Amino acid sequence: MTMTTTTSPTTTSPTTTSPTTTSPTTTSPTTTTPAVPWTTSDRSAVRARGDDVRAFPAALRSEWIKLASLRANRVILGLTAAVGALIAWVLATTATDPALTASELFIYPLPLIATLATVSGILLFTAEAQHGTLAGVLTARPARWVVVSAKTTLAAAVGLALGATGMVAGFGGAAAGGVDLGSGSALTSRALWALLYTGLAALIGLGVGMIARHSAGAISGLLMWSFVIESLFAPALPDGLVHVLPFSAGYRLLDAGSNFDPPVAIAHELARPLYALIFGGYAVASLALGAVLLYRRDTD
Amino acid sequence: MITVTGLTKRYGDRTAVDDLSFTVAPGRVTGFVGPNGAGKSTTMRMMVGLTRPDRGEVRYGDARYHELRHPARLVGAVLDARGAHPGHTARNHLRALAALSDIPVARVAEVLAAVGLESAADQRTGGFSLGMRQRLALAGALLGDPQVLLLDEPSNGLDPDGIRWLRTHLSAFAERGGSVFVSSHLIGELSMFADDLVVVGGGKLLAADTVAAITSRQVASIVVETPQPADLVRALTARGASVEATGDRLVVRGATKATVSDLAFEHGVRLLELREVAPSLEESLLALTGASAEFASA
Repeated sequence: MTMTTTTSPTTTSPTTTSPTTTSPTTTSPTTTTPAVPWTTSDRSAVRARGDDVRAFPAALRSEWIKLASLRANRVILGLTAAVGALIAWVLATTATDPALTASELFIYPLPLIATLATVSGILLFTAEAQHGTLAGVLTARPARWVVVSAKTTLAAAVGLALGATGMVAGFGGAAAGGVDLGSGSALTSRALWALLYTGLAALIGLGVGMIARHSAGAISGLLMWSFVIESLFAPALPDGLVHVLPFSAGYRLLDAGSNFDPPVAIAHELARPLYALIFGGYAVASLALGAVLLYRRDTD
Repeated sequence: MITVTGLTKRYGDRTAVDDLSFTVAPGRVTGFVGPNGAGKSTTMRMMVGLTRPDRGEVRYGDARYHELRHPARLVGAVLDARGAHPGHTARNHLRALAALSDIPVARVAEVLAAVGLESAADQRTGGFSLGMRQRLALAGALLGDPQVLLLDEPSNGLDPDGIRWLRTHLSAFAERGGSVFVSSHLIGELSMFADDLVVVGGGKLLAADTVAAITSRQVASIVVETPQPADLVRALTARGASVEATGDRLVVRGATKATVSDLAFEHGVRLLELREVAPSLEESLLALTGASAEFASA
């Protein structure tokens, strides 16, 4: 059935309430007209592809405001520093190998910090979906790829920030534990591989969050996979398959010397850049699937 | 002018919205009415691109929603009052929304003042009442100084003062030339400030017209009080009128006041009261939708 309104400017309901007959309890309705000078002349302007690209900085700024103004994110940053310092300090004070130095130990807390980065990446999206703010974001910016790009950039930045914080705190904790500082020659290379690890971990988290749209489900699923399923089933798998397990590959981005044992052993390891490609592949695949679902799914 | 044409949405075998077409005119408040489950929220979500229609389209002037460069500057939507992170303050929630649409941050203070949330601006929204959340959601919709407001059940959770404030606000917005499209299942509430109505039931359009036109579709009834109800009922039913009798009080449909008066005179029936009662909007809508149990009066 199709009908169309037959509204006329002259036909007004006798029951329409005039704004002068009832006064609002709070403030005058007229104050919604902006006093701040800015343009709304382009209200009906149709967007071009270039407009979406130009909208990216605004979307990123919006994401940053949300991230920076949430106390929980400051708690995660503080927790990262505490975990990094504590683990490195405990290992330094209990170390039996006199050759172990702070420039190796600072990497040891990174697997746990990568987990925090993954959780942060998940929450960047699932918190919006669960609290109903995603609808506001997508109505303001219907080009969903702009939103995905801004969130991806911010998730990577969060992963790098948490990684850097954990490593600085880890180095400090190890030094405080009394071990030698060690040689600085390999430190930069180790730190860069570790940053790649935590950055990609955060991106995988964001991708999984976009797919799952539910914080508890995404976090418990990823933790279960990372800490239980890969460890349990890897020994039964041939080397070729173990290479492509995501978190086993991720661990192997860490260059922390012979004392550092990843939870899943691989008899013949590949070169580190290949593991970077595998771990990065999971990040790209999860983000791509999440983006496709964001376009295809309805948003509550 | 918003033009909705042939909008259709199916979920499996169920058709939530079925070939819906209507317009929303500028300078007027258009109520979107229907029982629970009539497809109102789904329609409004399709109007801002959150739900993909299976068929049909919505145009704002000449453009579809997703084609707009800055949708928030044309359309302000309140579809879900819980749309704020409980850990964010009201101010930061609006700052993030303003940044997303390139709206100056100073506008945040203006809309907070407009909805009466200045004093709660730096409180976390997790502690907000439903009414405060509704106000915050409206502030978010007003950020871009839009020409169109789309509001889904905006009076939910508001106290009577809040409802009166909202009504005044929306009427003033329309008087300034804006289009207001507001859904509600509270007919009495809408009848107080809507100019036009779009009535839906089971996902289908039942009527789209002015409030006055929809109300006038129902015939008036005549209320009679008489000490001789049986005699008058006999006379009226013989003339083809329908009569509901409760003691000495009769509600007559299908006869004019003059006819009832003449019949009473002819049959020597004494009348204590004789008056015509215009149909209420609620009665008119219930007659349209036939779903009285799901409607509620304000």
